[in-house]
Amino acid sequence: MITISPKWVYRFAAFTLVAGLFAGCAQYSIPDAEPVQEPEPATDSNQGADQRLEEITVTGSREGTWRPANRSSMPGGASMAGFAGESAEGAALPYAGDEEIWVIQKHAATSAVAPTDDPGTGAMVATVDSKEVPLPLQHTGVNAQINGYISTVSVRQEFTNPFDSKIEAVYLFPLPEKAAVSEFLMIIGERKIRGILREKEEAEAIYEAARSQGYRASLMVQHRPNIFEQKVANIEPGKSIDVDIKYFHTLKYNDGWYSFVFPTVVGPRYNPPGHSDPIQAVPRQDTTSQDTAVRYLRPDERSGHDIRIDVSISAGVEIEELRSTHKIVANQADEQSASVQLAAGSTISNRDFVLDFRVAGETMKSDLLTYVDPETQQGYFTMMLYPPEVTDNLERRNMEMVFVIDSSGSMSGTPMAQAKDAMLAALDHLQEGDTFQIIRFSDNASQFGQAPVPATRQNIKRAQRYVANLSGGGGTQMIEGVKAALDFPHDPARLRFVSFLTDGYIGNEAQILGEVQKRIGASRIFSFGVGSSVNRYLMERMAKIGRGAVAYLGPQDSGYEIMDGFFNRISHPALTDVRIDWHGMAVSDVYPSVLPDVFVGRPIVVTGKYLGHASDIRVLGRQGNNDHSVVIENSNDTSSAPQLAKTWARMRIADLADRKTWSAVPYDEIGEEIKATALRYQLMSDYTSFVAVDTSERTEGEYGTTVHQAVPVPDGVRYETTVEKN
Amino acid sequence: MIGRLRVIVALLLLAVSSAMADSPVRFASVDVYIDTTEPMAAWQLEFSAATGVMQIVGVENGDSEAFDGAPYYDRDAVENGRADRIVVADYSLEEQEELPNGRVRVTTLHLMLSGDEAPEFDTRLIVATSHDGVSINAEISIEISEGSTK
Repeated sequence: MITISPKWVYRFAAFTLVAGLFAGCAQYSIPDAEPVQEPEPATDSNQGADQRLEEITVTGSREGTWRPANRSSMPGGASMAGFAGESAEGAALPYAGDEEIWVIQKHAATSAVAPTDDPGTGAMVATVDSKEVPLPLQHTGVNAQINGYISTVSVRQEFTNPFDSKIEAVYLFPLPEKAAVSEFLMIIGERKIRGILREKEEAEAIYEAARSQGYRASLMVQHRPNIFEQKVANIEPGKSIDVDIKYFHTLKYNDGWYSFVFPTVVGPRYNPPGHSDPIQAVPRQDTTSQDTAVRYLRPDERSGHDIRIDVSISAGVEIEELRSTHKIVANQADEQSASVQLAAGSTISNRDFVLDFRVAGETMKSDLLTYVDPETQQGYFTMMLYPPEVTDNLERRNMEMVFVIDSSGSMSGTPMAQAKDAMLAALDHLQEGDTFQIIRFSDNASQFGQAPVPATRQNIKRAQRYVANLSGGGGTQMIEGVKAALDFPHDPARLRFVSFLTDGYIGNEAQILGEVQKRIGASRIFSFGVGSSVNRYLMERMAKIGRGAVAYLGPQDSGYEIMDGFFNRISHPALTDVRIDWHGMAVSDVYPSVLPDVFVGRPIVVTGKYLGHASDIRVLGRQGNNDHSVVIENSNDTSSAPQLAKTWARMRIADLADRKTWSAVPYDEIGEEIKATALRYQLMSDYTSFVAVDTSERTEGEYGTTVHQAVPVPDGVRYETTVEKN
Repeated sequence: MIGRLRVIVALLLLAVSSAMADSPVRFASVDVYIDTTEPMAAWQLEFSAATGVMQIVGVENGDSEAFDGAPYYDRDAVENGRADRIVVADYSLEEQEELPNGRVRVTTLHLMLSGDEAPEFDTRLIVATSHDGVSINAEISIEISEGSTK
């Protein structure tokens, strides 16, 4: 239970007149919990070869896990989390998962890159006019506050000009795919200039005008739902300009674990010839490619860019365990709260930071959270249904399994080995009555059989040999794999599952998703993202369109074990043909518009707008051959605050963006809807960008050279086979 | 008390530098001051251009440490193409003795101006309150400048 002191309540009431005006845009800061230890910022490394099991530094716990030791009430220091109604104060634990995507496996909790002992750590060098100099991005600070299942994240990027003339810094970076970016500040010393959300072209024009006239300015643009570009103009020699952004997103949930992810590097993408909107992967020295190209460091280079991550968790229920992909320092405020920092010396910037926490989930199988906008009286809701915990009482269905494996160059090595292990596990679990097919793609596609073959012992042995002989090389013409996998007739006697195993390093996501949508039919898609910095956007959108799930295999994960668990679940669906009886509640704009099946480990989450009273809602479907229904419990919690409205808006934007790739509605019409929604709810999108200009002073001289921030290739990815040469 | 001030800045804005004379747009900053006789914990103002073409391109924090962050602006400033008006506000949760008393710069508005017509700005103080949320007497004033070259 988060407490708010009477003083804050009083002041909140006093300032309602002011703050209430900004209900749609103001985000009030939440003080950090006091850390138990002050870790040094982590330092970049590209030492991917030296990996070891990770240790978690814990307080009051046993080795490898963290458990709360202090059962006393929460200190008052974090009580401001409830200010302006932003927390889930007093709420039952809301669903933590992706509203539409079932994540059946994340990266393993214990993997790390060892810190380097090399002299000069912390000084990524770039050759400029034969001089070795640092790149502009010096530090990234991440501060996340998790309340229930919503994470509010502040990110500070610190840019400094190490050169002897003015520069424009350009940095292409990832954020979680569902990140709703709602605040943007440019900071110059003690001065903080709030950026303005504008239509994208308008923001770019403002930035260019300011830049060309010598004003300090910054611009943030979204290139993909998970890829953003930061530009900072007219940084004078030796001077610094920081950029603060704030976003929030809903955490993923899987089998009792909530997962906070902070991605750190954009993975290289393969762009088929002729693709109009590529995100190229080029060497750091490249000066000819467009701004949206990702510049990569060579394996023998490192960046002086360091990163610090602080996460404060107020779960709303007891936190039973913590785990992370990185070395962390954890401390508990009480049984429902914890603070976590990235440990000193932990390397980070070439692989995603993942923090999982397991919560007590025995008492809640469904819930409904609501929020009513006081200005418009418009209601917003999030509804969730948790599935059964085990498959014991569920009937196994005959299956038609289609495996589609990426055998391109970026998959060579560990990713390919993991993908093979996963497929071998699936083959081991096929039973009489099942059929299967294997399709590989790189520059082209080929397949195991002319059509899905029966899962006989002989066919499975042949398939095992086929899989063993696969190797990585060539490009990633995924479109060929999609066509081959979805274009043949579906056998209605079997549940058809198509499983893609890929790192998703492509640039034509929209084309791929459009083809999937056209061809999906009755198939369910299960995406296996392989590698340390998977294209999560592609993986999850494919799974969403295919009403399936996604799993991520990190470098330390066992592909065999993950596929083993996955197979058991999908062969025992808990509820199919799902629909909802709203019982008189006037519901509109509900996402997802098509409900997925329910499997063990996969909750259903629905977000929408409503008018009226929410009660007696039922989820209906079929379990085996019988009708089945579940009554949704209403927690009557209305404290979930404006994030529910922005969560709904982000879902709407994501849905509209998806529809652009396959909808019959004119492209421009959908774009206008996205733009209007983004402006109304003050969110970044494909059509809206943040811009900030310091007009108080013009810098001297020309606007200087553009310097692109180079980044390491993701951990486990080979620079030689994925970064394009000049 | 609600203060209101209209400032005509035509002469200032026409005095553009030669480098900017050919530019289709120009930039200016407006320092906004509020003068109170007792500690101020919250304020809200409206700023608009009665003539000329103006766009807000940044909202900066003021001089008081009690208002540490950048002020907030209302979404009407950018919604539906509305760029000629903005409502800005901020509040402080500091103790009374930490709050500003007297004349203080509460924000600097960063503007992009275009067109031949000299803009005429309207600045209106909507409200200023004490830490108890009670409206207090206050006057608002502004100072306008173009970004000067160092």
